[in-house]
Amino acid sequence: MALLRVEDLQIYFPIRGGILNRKIDDVRAVDGVSFEIEQGETYGLVGESGSGKTTTGKAVMGLNNITGGDIYFEDNHLNPGKGKKVDVRKDVQMIFQDPYSSLNPRKRVIDIIAEPIRNYEKLTKKQELRRVQELLEQVGLTPESIYKYPHEFSGGQRQRIGVARAIALKPKLIIADEPVSALDVSVQAQVLNFMQQIQKDLNLTFLFISHDLGVIRHMCDKIGIMYQGRFVEEGLRDEIFTDPQHIYTKRLVAAIPDIDPRRRQEHQQYREQVKEEYQNSFNDYFNEDGLAHSLKSITDTHRVALPERG
Amino acid sequence: MEDKKTAADVEQSVDPKKVEKSPSGFKTIWKEIMKDKLAFISLIFLVLTTLSVFIISFVLDQEQIVMVDPFSLYESPSSEWWLGTDYGGRDVFGQLIIGTRNSLAIGILVTLLSGFVGIVFGVVSGYFGGQVDNVMMRIVDFFMVLPNLMVIIVFVSIVPTYSVWTFSLVMASFLWMGIARLIRSRALQEKELDYAQASRTLGTSHAKIIFTQVLPNVTSLIVVTMTLNLAANIGIESGLSFLGFGFPESTPSLGTLLSYARNPQTLEFRWWIWVPPAVLILLLMLAVRNVGEALKRAADARQRRA
Amino acid sequence: MWKFIVRRLIITMPQIVLLSLFVFIMASFMPGDALTGQIGPDVDQDRLQELREQMGLNNPWYIQYRDWILGVFQGDFGTSFRYNMPASEIIQQRMINTIWLSLVSLIFIYALGIPMGLISGRYNDKLIDQVITSYTYLGFATPIFIFGLIALWVGGFQLGWFPTGGSVAPGLEPGSLEYILSKIHHLLLPGLAIALIGLVGTVQYLRSEIIDTKQKDFIITARAKGAPEQRVYNRHIFRNSVLPIAAFFGYEITSLISGTVFIEQIFSYPGMGNLFLESINIRDYTVVTALVLLFGLAAIIGALLSDIILSIVDPRIRIK
Repeated sequence: MALLRVEDLQIYFPIRGGILNRKIDDVRAVDGVSFEIEQGETYGLVGESGSGKTTTGKAVMGLNNITGGDIYFEDNHLNPGKGKKVDVRKDVQMIFQDPYSSLNPRKRVIDIIAEPIRNYEKLTKKQELRRVQELLEQVGLTPESIYKYPHEFSGGQRQRIGVARAIALKPKLIIADEPVSALDVSVQAQVLNFMQQIQKDLNLTFLFISHDLGVIRHMCDKIGIMYQGRFVEEGLRDEIFTDPQHIYTKRLVAAIPDIDPRRRQEHQQYREQVKEEYQNSFNDYFNEDGLAHSLKSITDTHRVALPERG
Repeated sequence: MEDKKTAADVEQSVDPKKVEKSPSGFKTIWKEIMKDKLAFISLIFLVLTTLSVFIISFVLDQEQIVMVDPFSLYESPSSEWWLGTDYGGRDVFGQLIIGTRNSLAIGILVTLLSGFVGIVFGVVSGYFGGQVDNVMMRIVDFFMVLPNLMVIIVFVSIVPTYSVWTFSLVMASFLWMGIARLIRSRALQEKELDYAQASRTLGTSHAKIIFTQVLPNVTSLIVVTMTLNLAANIGIESGLSFLGFGFPESTPSLGTLLSYARNPQTLEFRWWIWVPPAVLILLLMLAVRNVGEALKRAADARQRRA
Repeated sequence: MWKFIVRRLIITMPQIVLLSLFVFIMASFMPGDALTGQIGPDVDQDRLQELREQMGLNNPWYIQYRDWILGVFQGDFGTSFRYNMPASEIIQQRMINTIWLSLVSLIFIYALGIPMGLISGRYNDKLIDQVITSYTYLGFATPIFIFGLIALWVGGFQLGWFPTGGSVAPGLEPGSLEYILSKIHHLLLPGLAIALIGLVGTVQYLRSEIIDTKQKDFIITARAKGAPEQRVYNRHIFRNSVLPIAAFFGYEITSLISGTVFIEQIFSYPGMGNLFLESINIRDYTVVTALVLLFGLAAIIGALLSDIILSIVDPRIRIK
């Protein structure tokens, strides 16, 4: 049983206009996305900005209205207004992209981290204090920090506070929306490694959203690549990185810089070649609206958006 | 090993009560008012006026002041009547003190009432957005086009039980739209902030997010707007009393005294009845405005720094 | 642009319907109905019931509302309780007076406000600007009725330049030149009183607009090309800043209305605002209802006109 199952998810935003300001069209932010995440794995959603990856994450979190499709968490229907009201908030938490704006500047660390605890658990002041201090230690911050304000911390430390808040309720799934892209490159690896550590310790499942393939390769077991609200390719990490099938994926993978200077020439050539192929065969891989085709299975785990004729 | 404190140690070493609650905005506000001489003088004037008016009116015998004395009609200012008497032989100075007190009290009451309605309306509309916002803003639009002065006068004249409360309620019901609009547009921005969204994911209820995340961030806007509204409301109340739709003469406000000047004789020959209240209304409104503007600058500066 | 105008017109319809509903509900709170004042106290109850039935006073509210609205469309605002004559007739003469007063005020607002704003913006931070800014600062906080009293006291009583009440000197032949001159003479002081307070917004707007425009690239370019300063102001700045102001008169109507209520009272000028206060005091509620509806309509239509004119003058507004 998959921990999270998303089926044919559609999220449209209306475009209003005309004399009566009626809905005249939609922006199809997410258009028919399906994927599954197993307990304990890290699933990566990759795509350029505007590809719908963050919208998908927010929909799972319940922050967006869903136009169509279904989201199941442990076989409980998550769509708002559908099925019985199961409060899975406790089990699904989120880490936000910008650690500067996702922490209320007027609140102390203890109030920030204790917010979910206060919502779901009845603890005495003393128990709460102890819990927050434990969480802080878990994310590698000194327990003395509890009465400080967010602006007294560095970006990396702030993101650790964000993580502490997210794991406070011992969730099963954490949606990490570009958790390191607002941080200095030097801090990124630190935070990523620490997130992996936390994952192992708490047996967490991650839905990891990023535009950075390097980060994704480092973190994820399974990867879905989005373009214009649709999946173009989905597969295990090795399948994506060593055997990309879709031309869009190929180009993304080719764009990852190679650190080996001796292979620079070779890499450069490969990149040019992919670029050419991309330009020549764009129409084969995308339909007349410039959207990806529906996914076809290549192996049990690898699915690619290829045109009908195969 | 040694410098690693355990959670229990810290718990003892940090006393939550000693830790400051939130970064205080009062210092900034104070600094801004001190910097602006006009605002500072205005503030002192307001504090002194309010204090003296409330203290003196406590000492004054109100019933005696509003009692008609046929033997001392239209006395000019003298040592007995500092500001003379009106057409009923009533002491103008005493009425001025009581009138100022009443005008201030009503102004504050109306500001609080209309502010409360406006804030609730604006926050709900802005926070929930979408269709809720749409419908609520159409209601605001509608109230905005009403000829408010006239509608207030009509309601004041037809309410069955007329009192300070009903008067204030009538005024407030048609004066809450401005603040509602302001608060709404700020609430729209606030709820989109990451940390407000984060609170949703942490299971915090809408009500709690409104009270703990949205409202604190619009406080400065609320304080500024309410201060400026206070000035306007003092003006509107005296205007209504001036037209004869405020309080009865037995509870004079500044506008009541001024309304005696509707009599051309009084206007032309008996300045002591109408000039003092006119000057006082002007000074009060200017002073409140000055303080309000200083608060506005303080609030802006803080936004710039953040 | 047409799209905007049509959309704006469509929004206006429900506003008018809502206003009429509001006024109707307000009227139903007022004591008395169309029979009050028409019949003697000794009419027997059966006859009264019959009359009520006849006049539709026992109908459900929506039928009464429909009848009332249909009447209003034909200019029938009901019968005054006190004068036992059609409310529309009572209002008509007063309305003409008020329209004249508003017109004179508007002319003064623009005739004085635009030059003041222009000067203040052009010579900002010079002495003349400081004088004007101090005036607007005071004027912004001065309630219109205090200013009206002072104007009447100074202009009417102390200096004696203007009449202190009424709309025309008694005993003059309507239509004669003297009659018209007397009318104008009576209009000047109240009009000026409204304008001197009403122009504050215009001056402040124009001043900040001009100071803004002064720094814009196209003005700097014009100067760089060597255009004389006067020309820069006349051709470029004036055009950009003054046109929107001209469109604001519709929004001014709301404040003009409350202004006239006070000013007409102070100057005993027989206009609608004065009629409104009189009618409230003698509890002539048909007239009150009609006046509130008319004032409301004036505000709605004024805002509509301003929006449309602005959309023509300033394309930016159409985007929203």
